[in-house]
Amino acid sequence: MTGYVEILTDPSYRGQIMVFSSPTIANYPWIQEAMESGTIQVSGAITRDSHSLLSGGSSLDSVLSEYQIPGIDLVDTRTLILKIREKGVMKGFISDSDEVPGEFPDPMLRDLVSEVAGNQIMTLESGKDLECLVLDTGAKKSLMRRLSTVANLTIVPFDKFPHSRLNEFDFVFLPNGPGDPSHESLRALRGSISDVLGTKPVIGVCLGHQIISLAAGCSTYKMKYGHRGGNHSVTDGTKTWMTAHNHGYAVSRDSMRGTIMQEKQWDINDSTVEMIGNPDMGILTTQYHPEGAPGPHDMDGFFDTIGTLVRNFNASR
Amino acid sequence: MPLDKNVKNVLVIGSGPVVIGQAAEFDYSGSQACLALREEGIRSVLLNPNPASIQTDREVADRVYLEPVIPEMIEEIIQRESVDSILASVGGQTALNSVMLLEKSGKLEKLGVRILGTSAASIEAAEDRKLFHDLMNSIGEPVAASATLAERDYLIKVGEVDFFPVIVRSSFSLGGLGGGIVDNGGALVQICEEFFAGHPGATMEIEKSLTGLIELEYEIIRDPSDSCISVCNMENVDPMGIHTGESIVVTPAQTLSDREHNTLRDAAFRIVRAIGIVGACNIQFALDRKSGQYYVVEVNPRTSRSSALASKASGFPIARFSTKIAVGYALSEIMNPVTRNTYAAFEPSMDYVTVKIPRWPFDKFQVDRSIGVQMKSIGEVMGIGRTLEEALMKAIASLDNEISASIRLDVTGQNLIELLSKPSDLRIRAVFEALFRGHETSEISALTGYEKYFIEKFANIVKEANQITIGQIPENLASLKKLGISDRIISKMSGIPELEITRHRISSGLLPSFRTIDTCAGEFKSETPYFYSTYEEQGDYLQPDERKKVLVIGSGPNRIAQGIEFDYCSVKAVRALRKSGYSAMMINSNPETVSTDFDVSDRLFFEPVTLEHVSNVIAMEKPVGVLVQFSGQTGQNLSWGISDLFGESMILGTSPSQIMRVEDRSQFSASLDRLGFRQPDYTSVYNLEDATHKVDSVGLPAIVRSSFVIGGRSMDIIYDRKNLLRRVQDIFSANPRNPAIISRYLENAMELDVDFVSDASKVAICGTMEHIEEAGTHSGDATMVLPASLNHGATEQLRAIVESLAREFKIVGVANLQVAFRDGTFYIIELNARASRTIPIVSKATRTDWISVAVGLITGTTNLSGFADGTPNGVYVKVPVFPFERFSDLDILLGPEMRSTGEGVGSGESRVEALKKAFLITNKRSERPVSVLITVHDMYKESMLPIARFLDQSRILLLATPGTHDFLAKFGIQSTKVYKLEDMREPTISSAISNGNVSVVVNLPGSSPGLRDGFQIRRLALSRGIPLYTNLKLADTFFRSVLSSVAIRPREILDRLQIANS
Repeated sequence: MTGYVEILTDPSYRGQIMVFSSPTIANYPWIQEAMESGTIQVSGAITRDSHSLLSGGSSLDSVLSEYQIPGIDLVDTRTLILKIREKGVMKGFISDSDEVPGEFPDPMLRDLVSEVAGNQIMTLESGKDLECLVLDTGAKKSLMRRLSTVANLTIVPFDKFPHSRLNEFDFVFLPNGPGDPSHESLRALRGSISDVLGTKPVIGVCLGHQIISLAAGCSTYKMKYGHRGGNHSVTDGTKTWMTAHNHGYAVSRDSMRGTIMQEKQWDINDSTVEMIGNPDMGILTTQYHPEGAPGPHDMDGFFDTIGTLVRNFNASR
Repeated sequence: MPLDKNVKNVLVIGSGPVVIGQAAEFDYSGSQACLALREEGIRSVLLNPNPASIQTDREVADRVYLEPVIPEMIEEIIQRESVDSILASVGGQTALNSVMLLEKSGKLEKLGVRILGTSAASIEAAEDRKLFHDLMNSIGEPVAASATLAERDYLIKVGEVDFFPVIVRSSFSLGGLGGGIVDNGGALVQICEEFFAGHPGATMEIEKSLTGLIELEYEIIRDPSDSCISVCNMENVDPMGIHTGESIVVTPAQTLSDREHNTLRDAAFRIVRAIGIVGACNIQFALDRKSGQYYVVEVNPRTSRSSALASKASGFPIARFSTKIAVGYALSEIMNPVTRNTYAAFEPSMDYVTVKIPRWPFDKFQVDRSIGVQMKSIGEVMGIGRTLEEALMKAIASLDNEISASIRLDVTGQNLIELLSKPSDLRIRAVFEALFRGHETSEISALTGYEKYFIEKFANIVKEANQITIGQIPENLASLKKLGISDRIISKMSGIPELEITRHRISSGLLPSFRTIDTCAGEFKSETPYFYSTYEEQGDYLQPDERKKVLVIGSGPNRIAQGIEFDYCSVKAVRALRKSGYSAMMINSNPETVSTDFDVSDRLFFEPVTLEHVSNVIAMEKPVGVLVQFSGQTGQNLSWGISDLFGESMILGTSPSQIMRVEDRSQFSASLDRLGFRQPDYTSVYNLEDATHKVDSVGLPAIVRSSFVIGGRSMDIIYDRKNLLRRVQDIFSANPRNPAIISRYLENAMELDVDFVSDASKVAICGTMEHIEEAGTHSGDATMVLPASLNHGATEQLRAIVESLAREFKIVGVANLQVAFRDGTFYIIELNARASRTIPIVSKATRTDWISVAVGLITGTTNLSGFADGTPNGVYVKVPVFPFERFSDLDILLGPEMRSTGEGVGSGESRVEALKKAFLITNKRSERPVSVLITVHDMYKESMLPIARFLDQSRILLLATPGTHDFLAKFGIQSTKVYKLEDMREPTISSAISNGNVSVVVNLPGSSPGLRDGFQIRRLALSRGIPLYTNLKLADTFFRSVLSSVAIRPREILDRLQIANS
């Protein structure tokens, strides 16, 4: 319902057409500060009742135009969503002509991470006593903002792993990003992480969680229609929390057997692996977005846990 | 967190009679709670004196006590039933307050009973405003500045207040009763004086007014594992300052950004954790969008009206989950009964919008229509649509009042501006009207305080409606329907008859599709058949149902004269159909009720109960028939339209043409004459002049009504010629084509209400209730006794009349007959070919499910041969409760227009015991009266004498106004003289009342126009909570029962079965 600005600008949605299940969208104006990246990342937006189209004003319609992103309003989105639920995620295209292309290219084959990741080193100083290396695979701004309250961040492009500088950092962080974690473009990164595991704390969120798992020898799979939205409940077997999700891939539980990856939380309804941890190895990853944006902050405690885990791990070395 | 095995017998307390602020929503939550307990093998013991409720049915609760909710009664029931735990969270403020009272007195601890769910300390932390504010301050949650005033210190404290305007509240408020906005110290002192005079020990809270801010509500559930979910949030279209029960409420919140939403959600979780809620609660926030600042307004540590609304809006059964949590479960252990594929640990996502609009009684009460912090509405409707426009217009259609027919207003420009800026029930129409007249959305937004977003949605509707031209079916019909605009409104604006539009739509295939409410916006497969209609190309897949389908019409919003008794009837009808193998479908628009619980029917259509939406369902589902006789006048009014569209056979039971013969007064009277039955003298008049001539042939008092009224405006009993002619004039202006009927009203006759079932040849009498009051009181407002005190001969005579009428009008199913009995003769007043208000109480009293019998007769599965008339199991007294304290400008005198909002029942082995309990329910006090103030008009002095004599003999102190005093003295009855205000002498009536020297007031003013001379006295008694009687027979009955030594004992509804048999 809320959070259309964050969703449309979330780099993890790169290459996808967004169908909003909430029928009334963009009821409040576009908020520049709520943008999760510098641009609209989705390839298209499909809505049932976009406020801007019916009522005039300068919201969704004009914003999409500004970023040259096609959108269709007044679509029976529920029917479309039920179809996606039954058939799984499908390829689509938006066009103003009646011609249907012979073949739909699969965006998941693209090097999506390169499309969204920054190509320069950036720092986010917050005066904390921890130094964090972020490999940028398309990190959401809000994730970086929240993480920066735990540590000073050095954000480097995902394909420029600074092996020589590793000693400067207390831990490595892998954020969210678009596409398939086993994509060829991420091979080097997976290799680097594999080397770091056990020597330095490695923390990950979403795509980061998947990459770390792959690096630790687990496998990932593509889900039928993934987890999207801010109301997915995860549990540790005792408590449950609502969490924000945006993932089409997940870590295979079976593949974790015999690895250093230990399951800590899972989705209550389909038991997808949602959190992996191994304090002894300095590993903590979540499939969900603890920062919300859009979505709940129930797992905000994750960020405090990072600090504790990193300190404990480094003290024990 | 598994089930707590120590919980075996749970006392569930209901909310009692329906009053403003506590209506059908607690029948829903209480019923859900009882059923949730049963699923766990836990025995539920229900205490609720509301006989019209579904929850007081043995199908719902395991043990049912229709008894007054007083501490003594609760204690005794706890002991009788070996109750180990008590559920206080599903019976509104009534249940919560009574449990807190017991807890504080230490009784619960002594009895070894614990409170399930949220603890007493937590309840107190949420309810006591001082504790609550302290707690909020301690966790850093912003609350509006406040202060607590007591009798001893208010003068000083008021002087220190620097945060005017303030809202005034008393502790343990009920629906905002007594709340008001005060903007200066002088006015506040005055309010304090009045309040503390009546409640010397109590405290009063004042709080900075947050008027004008955005009001938001969050429904939160917290479980024993400390997991929390926000079931849904709701945005009040009316800003702060309008009670949420009086506001238009949209679900989910529409104008919140993600940051705003999650800030409030986070705050809500912090709050429920700090309070220690275990189960459901409702949190209200005020949001200042400009500054981003929010305030915590209120927390309700229980299920509420809002939780019922949230349950129906989201599909998430909150009361059910909170009950499971109360007996030990975590959210992650409870299945979501909607999807049956997911768990309750989930936050519903909605791919539709709902709009709730309150239903006010201003069509019945001629009172100030302004709305504010105090609740005046008696019911509500919810519209569901894929867009806000559609949901709004479906809610408007559901209201079934003026606005449902026309969204425009015929007012001057100046009036229109006033209506926009001054909150009242007319504001919705004013917004539409302003848009029709071309006012800017931003101007309307500024005047109303509604977010501009909402006004723009109104504007979309107006833009489309403006294209309707007179005299033709609109070319943009499809667009109009997409916005939810009803056939009725299109008819009004185009001049084309509604039926013609509906017929055109059906024949051209312009029909809505049906969507599922699945709690997850399509993410998971859902099994629950809970539907709403929308104009989209495709609908959701409906599982084919091979069984014969029957559609049961629900009764729409709760309103005066049509309350939860009809929800009881329609739910029982659905159950009966399901038991006999039919697929029972329900259509209703009332989010409070049990009937709109998706578990009740095979298919629930949450739709306006209008011809348009009923026919849409019929067109899609093609049922074998429709049941219209269980939903009050609403269902009956639809019968002719349905039979026009789908043929008469579509209506099951008594046929529409027979209903017409009953409803058309001229035809009905002619039939009675032909059958040789007596009826009060009457005459038909065709114009005002005709009336002037004929009125004397009938005599006064008289009943005036239109010969044919759809909607059954109640009988007006009129005592003087001038009023009579005015009423006749009203009738002609409303129904110019039909004659008006003037009939003689029988005075000093016994009035009886007979409920019966029939197969058109045989009948069974369900029960015959006797009114205590004589002429002049509406049957819905009368106190009634079952069984009636008729001798055998009279009973047989009445039975013969019923049988003959049932045959004459081919009554199939249930019906109700009102008769007057005088000097051995029955006079027929009215026949209703439908279930009446009294059938639920009669069913419970006679231990017979008469609705089920009626359904059996309708479907032909029940045979009346050998079926005995109902025998009440003891004596039952039905008492009405009134909303007078809500309307300071409404006189308390009962008259021909129905005023009561609900009813309670007292039962016992004797009339006196039953009456004693009944009066306990209405008066809410059990102590023996010490002193009685009598002030009656000369015309009643003779008849008052026996009462005074009885009170005198019973050593009750009498106070009387000079005239009454002198009259009593003549008969040797002593009384203390008190003076009327205008006498300018002490002691005055008001000082006597204010000083607490009066336990009961008997006030009978003369006939109009002096009728209002006791107005002040009556208001004063009311404001002090002093029982007031304005009818001598009722007063006499009251005193003779409360002063008798007969003891009252709780009895389970089936207990007396054994007593009766032994």
